Amino acid sequence: MDYIVEMLNIRKEFPGIVANDDISVNLKKGEIHALLGENGAGKSTLMSILFGLYKPDKGQIKVNGQVVNINNPNQANDLGIGMVHQHFKLVHNFTITENIILGLEPKSGLFLNLKEASEKIRKLSEKYKLNVDPDALIENVSVGMQQRAEILKMLYRNAEVLIFDEPTAVLTPQEILELIKIMRNLTEEGKSILLITHKLKEIKTVADRCTVIRRGKMIGTVDVKDTSTADMAEMMVGRVVSFNVDKKEQEAGEIVLDVKDLSVLGSHGVRTLKNFSFSVRSGEIVGIGGVDGNGQTELVEAITGLKKIESGSILLESKDISDYSIRKRITSGMAHIPEDRHKHGLVLDYSLEENMVLEVYNRSPYAKNMFLNKSEIRKHADKIIDDFDVRSGEGPVTITRSMSGGNQQKAIVGREVDHNPNLLIAVQPTRGLDVGSIEYIHKRLIEQRDSGKAVLLVSLELDEILDLSDRIVIIAGGEKVGTVNASETNENEVGLMMAGVGKGDTP
Amino acid sequence: MKIKINKQLYIGLISVLLGLIAGAILMAFTGNNPFLGYSYLFRGGLMNIERIGNTLATATPLIFTGLSVAFAFKTGLFNIGASGQMLFGGLCATAVALTFNIPRELLLPLMMMAAILGGGFWALIPGLLKAKFNVHEVVSTIMMNWIAYWTIYYSVPAFFKGEFLETESRSIPEFASLKAEWLTNLFNGSFINYGLFLAIASVVIIAIILNKTVLGFELKAAGYNRFGAEYAGMRVDTNIVLSMVIAGALAGLGGATYYVGYASNIQIGVLPTLGFDGIAAALLGGLNPYGVMAASIFFGIFHSGKGFMNAMTSIPPEIGDTIIATIIYFAATSVLIERAMAIVSKKVKGEN
Amino acid sequence: MKRVIVILLAIMFVANFAFAGGEQEATSSDSLKVGMVTDAGTIDDKSFNQGTWEGILEAEKDMDITTKYLKPVGTTEADYLKEIGNLYDAGYRFMVTPGFKFETTIFQAQDKYPDCKFVLIDGAPHNADYSVFNTAANTVAIFFAEHESGFLAGVASALQIKEGEMGFIGGMEIPPVQKFNWGFQQGVAYANENFDTKIVLNAENIIYQGTFSDVAAGQQLAAQMYDKGVSVIFAAAGGVGVGAINEAKSRAKSGEEVWIVGVDVDQYADGLFDGKKSIILTSAMKRIDTSAYDMIKAELGGSFPGGETLIFDASNNGVSIPAKNPNLDSSVESSVGDVFDMIKSGSIVVAAEQGSLIK
Repeated sequence: MDYIVEMLNIRKEFPGIVANDDISVNLKKGEIHALLGENGAGKSTLMSILFGLYKPDKGQIKVNGQVVNINNPNQANDLGIGMVHQHFKLVHNFTITENIILGLEPKSGLFLNLKEASEKIRKLSEKYKLNVDPDALIENVSVGMQQRAEILKMLYRNAEVLIFDEPTAVLTPQEILELIKIMRNLTEEGKSILLITHKLKEIKTVADRCTVIRRGKMIGTVDVKDTSTADMAEMMVGRVVSFNVDKKEQEAGEIVLDVKDLSVLGSHGVRTLKNFSFSVRSGEIVGIGGVDGNGQTELVEAITGLKKIESGSILLESKDISDYSIRKRITSGMAHIPEDRHKHGLVLDYSLEENMVLEVYNRSPYAKNMFLNKSEIRKHADKIIDDFDVRSGEGPVTITRSMSGGNQQKAIVGREVDHNPNLLIAVQPTRGLDVGSIEYIHKRLIEQRDSGKAVLLVSLELDEILDLSDRIVIIAGGEKVGTVNASETNENEVGLMMAGVGKGDTP
Repeated sequence: MKIKINKQLYIGLISVLLGLIAGAILMAFTGNNPFLGYSYLFRGGLMNIERIGNTLATATPLIFTGLSVAFAFKTGLFNIGASGQMLFGGLCATAVALTFNIPRELLLPLMMMAAILGGGFWALIPGLLKAKFNVHEVVSTIMMNWIAYWTIYYSVPAFFKGEFLETESRSIPEFASLKAEWLTNLFNGSFINYGLFLAIASVVIIAIILNKTVLGFELKAAGYNRFGAEYAGMRVDTNIVLSMVIAGALAGLGGATYYVGYASNIQIGVLPTLGFDGIAAALLGGLNPYGVMAASIFFGIFHSGKGFMNAMTSIPPEIGDTIIATIIYFAATSVLIERAMAIVSKKVKGEN
Repeated sequence: MKRVIVILLAIMFVANFAFAGGEQEATSSDSLKVGMVTDAGTIDDKSFNQGTWEGILEAEKDMDITTKYLKPVGTTEADYLKEIGNLYDAGYRFMVTPGFKFETTIFQAQDKYPDCKFVLIDGAPHNADYSVFNTAANTVAIFFAEHESGFLAGVASALQIKEGEMGFIGGMEIPPVQKFNWGFQQGVAYANENFDTKIVLNAENIIYQGTFSDVAAGQQLAAQMYDKGVSVIFAAAGGVGVGAINEAKSRAKSGEEVWIVGVDVDQYADGLFDGKKSIILTSAMKRIDTSAYDMIKAELGGSFPGGETLIFDASNNGVSIPAKNPNLDSSVESSVGDVFDMIKSGSIVVAAEQGSLIK
């Protein structure tokens, strides 16, 4: 069988790192080919080469059997290669049609011929069952439709090969199902798809073949239907991975965090969190599930004190802390693993040991009469490094900027857990981490729960929420949709609730 | 820590070297011998004890403004208002000197205290504006420069006017000057004064604050990552104000050394350029207090040697300024030098 | 960190020895070395610095001298003294310093360098608290009768324009600038009385900007005055005047009839636009160049009037309007010539004080 795209022995080096080392990927016509690898394995680099954003140091690319040189995305488009980026490249106050024709506007004389374009788009939409309204403004349509507009953009440009870069990251489970259907439609109509992802489940459902990359090296290409998820995971990580989170049954204790009727204004003065109530007890993990941007950030910022509340109350062990300063909340027994470890979690230009005392530097024994006690700070860092297996080039004096994401996160988790908090708030604690680190951090969170701490987990990864939580609070549009017990629910139910479909509250 | 300082030292030295090379090209281009030019330049700054004294005296206020800018920078603030803080601090010191008739041992500390408070106050306003209303300090400090300028313009003739001239204050009496006879004589009649010792003390104190204290830890954290500092429970807004006040106090003290040490009156209608030169000294010094001191002394050599070079050669005075500007340019773009160094060192390692 | 300081000190001391001993080679030729230290502003300030320097260059053309100017880092006495020291160490033994800001500097320098001659323009040497005035035997102090110059420009402008409003923009409110202003007002009044012109000077149009350097402010002030109906502005303001000139030029280009009266030197060329026409009506000149030239000439001729304070006024042609004024009618020029002679002879006395004048 002929290949539509062949990438042969591709090598790409960046200063200090070999991003792609002798990687070959062949895409058959009409197949969905997954590219699997952990973050930083080299998937994006490889696709950027195909899309003309980087030039390979070695190797060649063939399209329809012909050797080609792709120097920029326009050339890639001309060759029928299109990319649906993870972060959409759309103009918000333009209609879908206007967005799609951007760059190749159809003209009659001096004027835009929007009608003709809009008609063509409508036909394309029908043919591939994309269900897109060409005249809708981007800012008024759902994330899912925005993504479909991106797909249409490629089809409008007669793309034969579509690259999807982590397409499900922004979607609800139901939207993911939609997308999978669309991808199948596309292949049935003869298009070929390259799917970049680190989610094994999706690959198992939709892909025909899968090429696995680990640390810039190609591990192999397999037929998806003959390979188990566990095998693919092992190829990806390089060792046997356990998916099961061991969690013993445990009765939850006293209420530690009690949020009542909490409302918060967002950045534009719009109320982004509305009358939100829930509680977390000692010895349980409560997960907040929801699609990105539905008020989770505001909820966490309000609880941790980064943002002022508009109304409602936040009780920590029966004390109203809504007027407390951040520092007072910390000393009252709250710890916070922040969503953005670079923005909030770390001072990247500080050394590891300095970061480890970021919240306690002014307390004995780390400070003495206004001066820092460097030997105590060092001891403290050494302890966290040992306890949490934080690896870095120079130990405590490593500048944290130079550390890997996994180790940065382990350090933050270590620091927060070391405060021995009554309430641990973990927001996206495993975002962008490799499977090994994810496993480790999950274990630590469970440990906290098992030792009787209250844990609030906010995550966009539904699997993470389902695996770790005892109870799940679902948030949509800044409002609580409902609460479910993790043991009594499933992905489908939670997914529906995330889309805003309500359900009676289970206590 | 050691490695970092050395790297910054190298970057500074490379900046200077590139600047000197660029200057040499300029000199050659205007038909002059660069080696001769530079030899006169350095002779002008260093060839006898009086000139060394003058070099140090020129460097003194620059150390303060450089330190002020560097300190603010370290804490994430860009203080372009060192000139205004200098002016107002200098006015306060001058006012005390011209108002109180008390023994020198009491008067001098009082004057310095006034300068510190004055400069600090002048920076307090932009600090508060930034903390409360998020007004960018670049804008507000520049505005404060001009407010200081006009404050001096009207208050000096109104309250401290000389007998005949309205463009400068009365000269401060000798016993209120930071100049000391023994020091002047030691340096053969130069303008060196106690300000130098104050400057050195400030450098040491600021270095200790930044590197060894709880306060320094907080301020730097806010400078590197405001959000991180906020997250960790630090009072970032208070720290912004405090940091500006300390930066202003430094500049204010620098103003005192300038107006009641180096000079002996305060002129109206002159916004001292030292506040802006301080930015250069801070950058060339890699924001390290000791580095700032070294950079200031280096600029001091330039400023005092430039005239002699011009007098001895046909190099136009503007070339001297251009060379300094070039060095500043290379210092400001030290990131490029850093990157170039990384590439070079990688190549060297690769070949081994 | 200590190492940095040690290295630095080491460099300084090595440099000290390596570069020392250069002092004796300073003087090479026998011709008189004439140096100048500039005041605040650049050498091409179209005013004081430039006038002085042009006089020195003129002397260089006619006489056997070498010349050099130095630009100090700041405007303090220390900065000025350092540059004088630089010139002295380089063998310069005749120095011209423009501006009253050099008064205390020269007071010190004349004693420190007794074998060097100093010409102080627009000032007299004195100590810091004005308790001692002393123009030493190696120094000449020079003053100008700015009020007479302003008077002449006032008469000339009034005669040419005949009817309308005029204004004044000054730099800093200091005696030389004030004297220009007061003289100008007297000149306008004189023309109104004796030549039947109808020129109005409103108090709101007599303004001191406060600096000699703020070009933008000068442009703004001029624009405001022109908008209010002023047709002639006397700008005695250095860089601020440059702004006023720019404003006048752009207005003239679009057909408005606006004028500037220049100051210190003949500014006609600075006001040129569209190649041929200039918005400079005339200029109130101080013959700074002449004074510098004359002093150099006197020194070479052995008649340097050391210790004296000289006043350059109409009687010795030290102040005037330019010889050629393309924007003035010849009848106006001849009338001004008559007025000039009357000042010379003393039949017109221009007051150098404010009296009842505006500001």
